[in-house]
Amino acid sequence: MSLPFPFGFPAATQLYLVLLVATLLVHMIFMHYVLAGTAYLACGRLFGRQRAADCGWQQRLADWLPFATGLAITAGVAPLLFLQILYQREFYTANLLLSHRWMAILPVLLVCFYLLYLQKSSWISRRAWGWRVVVTWLAFAGFGFIAWSWTENHLLSLDQQAWAALYAAGELRYATAGLLPRLAAWFLLAFPTLAIELFWQGWLVGEPLDRPAAESSRVLGLAPVQRLAVMGLAGLLGGTVALIAYAITLPVETRAAVTGPLGGWWLLALGLGFCLQAAVWGLALRAGRLGRPLAGLLTAGWLLGLAGLLAVREVIRLEAVDLEALLPQHERAAGIGGLPVFLIFATLSVAAISWSVAAVRRGLVSG
Amino acid sequence: MTPLIPYPVVDLGPLMKGLVIGGLGIFHVFIAQFAIGGGMLLAYLQWLDMRGQCVHGRRFIDGYFRVLVLISFVVGAVTGVAMWFTSIQISPQTIGVMVGEFHWVWATEWSFFCLEVVAGYLFYRYGSRLPDRTRLSLLVLYAFAAWMSLFWINGILTWQLTPGAWLESRYVWDGFFNPGFWPSLIFRTITSAATASLAACVLINAVPAFSREEKAKLIGVCARPLIFMLAMPLLGVWYFATMPADSRGWATGGSVPMTMFLTMAVGCSLLVGLYAVVAILRQRLFINGATSTLLLALAFVATAGGEFVREGVRKPFTVRQYLYSNAIPPDAVADLRRRGCTTDDPYPLRDAEAYPTPQLKLGAKAFRVQCSVCHTLEGVNAVPELAAHWSIDQKRLNIAQLQRTKPFMPPFAGTPEELEAIVQLVTWVEAGRPPQWQPSNDPAVRQQIARWLDEAGTGPGYELAAAAAAELAAAGSPLR
Repeated sequence: MSLPFPFGFPAATQLYLVLLVATLLVHMIFMHYVLAGTAYLACGRLFGRQRAADCGWQQRLADWLPFATGLAITAGVAPLLFLQILYQREFYTANLLLSHRWMAILPVLLVCFYLLYLQKSSWISRRAWGWRVVVTWLAFAGFGFIAWSWTENHLLSLDQQAWAALYAAGELRYATAGLLPRLAAWFLLAFPTLAIELFWQGWLVGEPLDRPAAESSRVLGLAPVQRLAVMGLAGLLGGTVALIAYAITLPVETRAAVTGPLGGWWLLALGLGFCLQAAVWGLALRAGRLGRPLAGLLTAGWLLGLAGLLAVREVIRLEAVDLEALLPQHERAAGIGGLPVFLIFATLSVAAISWSVAAVRRGLVSG
Repeated sequence: MTPLIPYPVVDLGPLMKGLVIGGLGIFHVFIAQFAIGGGMLLAYLQWLDMRGQCVHGRRFIDGYFRVLVLISFVVGAVTGVAMWFTSIQISPQTIGVMVGEFHWVWATEWSFFCLEVVAGYLFYRYGSRLPDRTRLSLLVLYAFAAWMSLFWINGILTWQLTPGAWLESRYVWDGFFNPGFWPSLIFRTITSAATASLAACVLINAVPAFSREEKAKLIGVCARPLIFMLAMPLLGVWYFATMPADSRGWATGGSVPMTMFLTMAVGCSLLVGLYAVVAILRQRLFINGATSTLLLALAFVATAGGEFVREGVRKPFTVRQYLYSNAIPPDAVADLRRRGCTTDDPYPLRDAEAYPTPQLKLGAKAFRVQCSVCHTLEGVNAVPELAAHWSIDQKRLNIAQLQRTKPFMPPFAGTPEELEAIVQLVTWVEAGRPPQWQPSNDPAVRQQIARWLDEAGTGPGYELAAAAAAELAAAGSPLR
């Protein structure tokens, strides 16, 4: 393939690839908030009630995580839909091979969802602090299990050679060299997203970080924005190391596709995005504050990096699957009517969502 | 010809796969109905409250919505995803076709799902601090989005039984606005309203701060949507009229379990409807927590019965005239009878050493492909139990002419060798799985099976019955 992703593929395949990447990016916004947010909260809870009270981020996360989980599930439906159009055989087979073990993510998700409500409930506030620690760690462990299961499912869907033997063995577990580094990459890269989201969340609720922080808001000597910067930088550094480790486990041809014309530009975008984020977080760490213009640049870097990451992810997958066999299915799906109806209603829904948010803001001001 | 993708088959042990997806489906549908009806009821209550016609309306709305979020937004959302994942486990081909044919419809439903979640959470979080008009707007948006998600999914579900003109045109909107669409949509809307009303009665009784008089007033208001249940019999008849005749036949005596499920659904709906209209709405009796919980439980049983009937009457198809219940397309049966249903299956048996002969191994593979979606070997709906009193030749004939044996079964889609292998497998299991088993290699048996298969053809049972009836009619009296 001599053109960058997704160009060079038939139009139908391009359409679904773009939709998959775009909707997955939206899902990542919420999923990263939930995964990294629960991890942050779980670690923060270990330092006791007073430290939790001092840390505005913990309070915000505790308050918003259930809503973010709802949004993550909702936003996850769309990429799941386009995934089934693009790689139906691969996705379904991995689901079936992992069977009950894979399906366990659903009750675990349900439990985690309720645990997030429980950790902000008045019931738990009347109990010893240890309850919050246990509940938050249980939720984190559950989300960790779900993340591991998704990574396992994804990698198995790419390893067609392993399918028959895995089925015969009936193990319901797939282990491969790429599993841990890939899982680590996704987990660690959730933290830069969380850092940016917490920044904008603060700005939206009228707590901007563009001026030096009050002494009372410091934890371990770090101002709120510095804690975000440490989180973002650590995530970027760890994520990059994990990505390199994962790349080493890939076949040579796949690595060539990632660095070649198909994925090369996206790899560059990923690198640029990471560098941009690292630079801005570095400045914020030194200055102890972060203004909107720099935050805008940071967000652009994050978007560039995540888009690059998701595109490279698809390049790796496209190298692993028998694309020729899938093309007729994409062609057929694209020929089925309904796209204009979706576009019309999606636009109306977005408009209605925007109106709702604006109406609530107006209502709160007038109330 | 529709392409067949060989998938690994999940083994749920003694559990019948249909029960697993059916059980989850019923639970999800009930929660979804609660969410849809809840939105409509709360918007109505908010409107009444703004007109001063609902004492404590605002307080109750906020409390009810909290329950709605904690149940519907959590369990409803997760079980919704679970429905997809479980469908993949049970029949990947079926859900693959549904997703493929209607992916823009699913996507449209998703856009309303997003609106529902955002509007709902905004109300949950800020509703108590918002002015009345904004509250009403949010509730109306939430209710509309929730109902629209029903609108879209209803088209896909009814398409499975009554695909209508889609079978010829393959046009998505022919499939979506199929003959069963409107009666089902209106019926489900009323069911949702009724479910939410009954749930409201339970919740009102659960609030200790309300006096008995306040509770009675609120119940009187919340029970009003139950009046629409009066339209259910007519809608049911309309829905039945859109069904194919053979499907209608299963539910009205042709299949005892289906008839029982229908009776259960109708009976429970009747009880709830009568009590609601006569006792609550007309005589204005106070219903306490126990009674309202019982009514809600009856509504759940009615939903369960109705959903089982909806799933069951599709047989022998999972998508009428397009995909048999074992996920084999009708136009692939003839080819599979020549080439074999196990030929392209790359997945070995997990317990191959448990079968003493290659023939039994072949039987186990053929059983996995053809039968395991509805049957087990030792568990619920086990074939060895169903065929326990058949002679060996009866088994061969009955399976070869499966659609004649039981018209809700699909035709056998494999070679005579595979059929004989299944017969031997079933007989071997009946015999207690002995370690030694004599293979059956008689060519005359295979030829006889081939003749029986040819006689039955590759079409569904109702087509054979219609052809036989037409033949008899043409020949005059059957006694002649």
